Amino acid sequence: MLRSQESLVWVAVTVALVALCAAALAGPYHSGIGAGWRNPLAALCLSMYAVGAVGVIFLGVCHHRLVRAITSIARQLRSKHGAPLQEKKPWGRGNAVRTLQADLEDREALVERLESELSDLRIRARLSERQKQHTEAILYSLRDAVVVLDDHNRLTMANAPAARLLGFDLEADRYRPLNDICGERHGEFVQFLQQSAQSRVEGTRRELTFSLEEDLHTFDTIVSCVQEGQAVLGVVAVLHDVTREKEISQMKNDFISHVSHELKTPLASITAYSEMLVDGEADDEDTRKEFYGIIQSQAQRLNRLIEDILNVSRIESGLMKTAKEPASLTILIEQQMSMIRSYAEEKNITVTGPAPIVYDQVYADRDMMSQVIVNLLSNAVKYTPAGGSVTVRTAVDETTGRAQVAVTDTGVGIPEDEVEHVFDKFYRVGANNKQAKGTGLGLNLVKQIVEKIHTGRVFVTSRVGAGSTFGFELPLAKVEMAEAT
Amino acid sequence: MTANKILVADDEIHIIHVVAIKLRNNGYDVVSANNGAEAYELACEEKPDIVVTDYQMPVMTGIELIEKLRANEETRHVPVVLLTARSFAVTQEQQEALGVSACLSKPFSPKELLKTLQDILHQQELALQH
Repeated sequence: MLRSQESLVWVAVTVALVALCAAALAGPYHSGIGAGWRNPLAALCLSMYAVGAVGVIFLGVCHHRLVRAITSIARQLRSKHGAPLQEKKPWGRGNAVRTLQADLEDREALVERLESELSDLRIRARLSERQKQHTEAILYSLRDAVVVLDDHNRLTMANAPAARLLGFDLEADRYRPLNDICGERHGEFVQFLQQSAQSRVEGTRRELTFSLEEDLHTFDTIVSCVQEGQAVLGVVAVLHDVTREKEISQMKNDFISHVSHELKTPLASITAYSEMLVDGEADDEDTRKEFYGIIQSQAQRLNRLIEDILNVSRIESGLMKTAKEPASLTILIEQQMSMIRSYAEEKNITVTGPAPIVYDQVYADRDMMSQVIVNLLSNAVKYTPAGGSVTVRTAVDETTGRAQVAVTDTGVGIPEDEVEHVFDKFYRVGANNKQAKGTGLGLNLVKQIVEKIHTGRVFVTSRVGAGSTFGFELPLAKVEMAEAT
Repeated sequence: MTANKILVADDEIHIIHVVAIKLRNNGYDVVSANNGAEAYELACEEKPDIVVTDYQMPVMTGIELIEKLRANEETRHVPVVLLTARSFAVTQEQQEALGVSACLSKPFSPKELLKTLQDILHQQELALQH
C-alpha cells in the first residue's frame, strides 16, 4: 500500500508539472490567436495545475501523517521490547517503514521462539504428568504404608495400606492436616513426622506400634524430610510391618535359648561327675561305677538330644531327604514292638500290638515312620506307672482313604490346659517331669514327620490319672499314589 | 557344732545327687527338692542356712521361689545361690533386686559351688560379729 501511495504521489507531481508547463506555454499563445477557443484551453491547463497542486498537497499531508503513524508504532514496539528509542524521528518515510519492518520481524522471531518454548513446556508437562502417574502407580502398589505430607503437615499422597492402617479416606482427607485426620488415634506417629520436619533430618527410623484388626502390630517407620535448599517441601513416611519378623526372631531366640539349656543340662552332670572322679570324691568302687554310669547315660542323652534337634531342624527347613515307598503300618509297628516290650517288662507294663489288617499300606519313609512309632511307644511306657498297660490299635477307613494308628496307655495323663501344647518343641508337662525325663522334642518330631513330610495328622486325648491316647493318620498308599498321578 | 544346712532345688536328680555328695563330704547337711513349690515348703520347714536353686524348674521356677522366700518374713533373709543353664538369664540388677548372693552357670564346678557357699557363710559370720 505504501508503494502504491508513493506512485500516486509521483503521478500527481508529474501531472501538476505538466499542467504548469502547459499553462505556461498556453498563456502567450492564447493572447496571439482568437479568444473563443484558447480561453478554455488555458482554463483547462490552469484547472489541471490547480488539481495537481491540491493533489500533491493532499498526498503530501497523507504521507506525512502516515510516516508519523508508522514512526509512532515503531517507537511503541521498541519501547515494549526495551530497545533504545531513537533520539530523533527517523527522517523520511523510508526509515520509518524500515524500522517498523525490522521491529515486526523481531516480533515474529520472538513469537516463533516463544511458541517453540511453549511446545517444549507442553512436552515436559506431559512427561512430568506421566512420571507422576508412574510414581503414584508404584506408591499404590506397595505393600508398605506410605504417607506424604506437604510443608504444612497436610496429607498430599498416601496408599491404601496407609489409609487402612491410619484409618482415613484419601480422597476425603487429602490436604487436611494429618493431626486433624488421625492425631488422636496415632499421636506418636504424627509427632514423629512433625519432629522430623522440624529437625530437617533426611532419614530417621523408629519402631511404632499400631492396632490393626484387633491385634497389635509393630512397624519399622522411616521418615524422610524433603528439602529444596533451605526450604522444607514436606515429609515422606514409609511403614513396614515387622510383626511377623519379630515373632520369628523371638521364636529363633527362644529356640536357641531352649537348645542351649537342654544341651547344658546333661553336660552339667557330665562335668560335675567328672570333676568329682578327678578330685577323688568317689570314695569306693561302687560310687565310682555309679558316677561312670551317670556320665555315660548323660552323654547318650546329649547325643540323642543333638540328633533330635538336627532332625527337627532339617525337617523344618525342608532339607530332610526322604525315601517313600508303600509300607504296611502293622509290620512297622511289629518291628518296634519287640524293642519296646523289653523296656516295658522292666516296669511290668503289658504291651498289646494291633490286630492285623488286610490292607493298611501307606506311602511312607520306613525309617521316619519307625521313629514315629518308637517315640509314641516309648512315651507311653515312660509315663505309665509299673503294672499298667499300653495298647496299640490300627484302623483303615476306605471312605476317607486314611489309615490310623492309636497308642493308648494307662499312664499319668496330661492336664487339660497342657494337652494342646504337648507337640510343641521342648514342651514337657510339668507335673509329669518327675515320672520321666525327655528331650522335649520327641512329640514335636512325630508331628513334623507325620504332618510335614507325610501329609498326615497327629492327635491326642488325655485325662489326668486315667491315661492318654496318642496317634496319627496317614493317607493310604493307593490314594496317595493315585493323587500323585 | 551343728552343720550348716543347705537346701538344694533342681529338677535334675543327678545334679542334686552330685551336689549333695560334694557338700556332705565337706560337712554340710543337705535337703533337696525337685521343683520350686517343694523347695518353698521345705525351706519353711527346715530353715536352711543357704538355698541353692536351679533357674528352670517345673511347677514353680527358681525366680518364683526366691520371690516367695523374700515375701515370707521367716525366710526373707536366707541367702540364695542361683544355678542356671541359660546364658544371661538373670542380669546383675535382677540379682540385686532379688537378693541373689551368687549366680553360677551350668555346667558348674562342684568345687566352685562349695567355695561360693563357704564365702557366703563366712560373710554372714562377720556380719553377725559386727
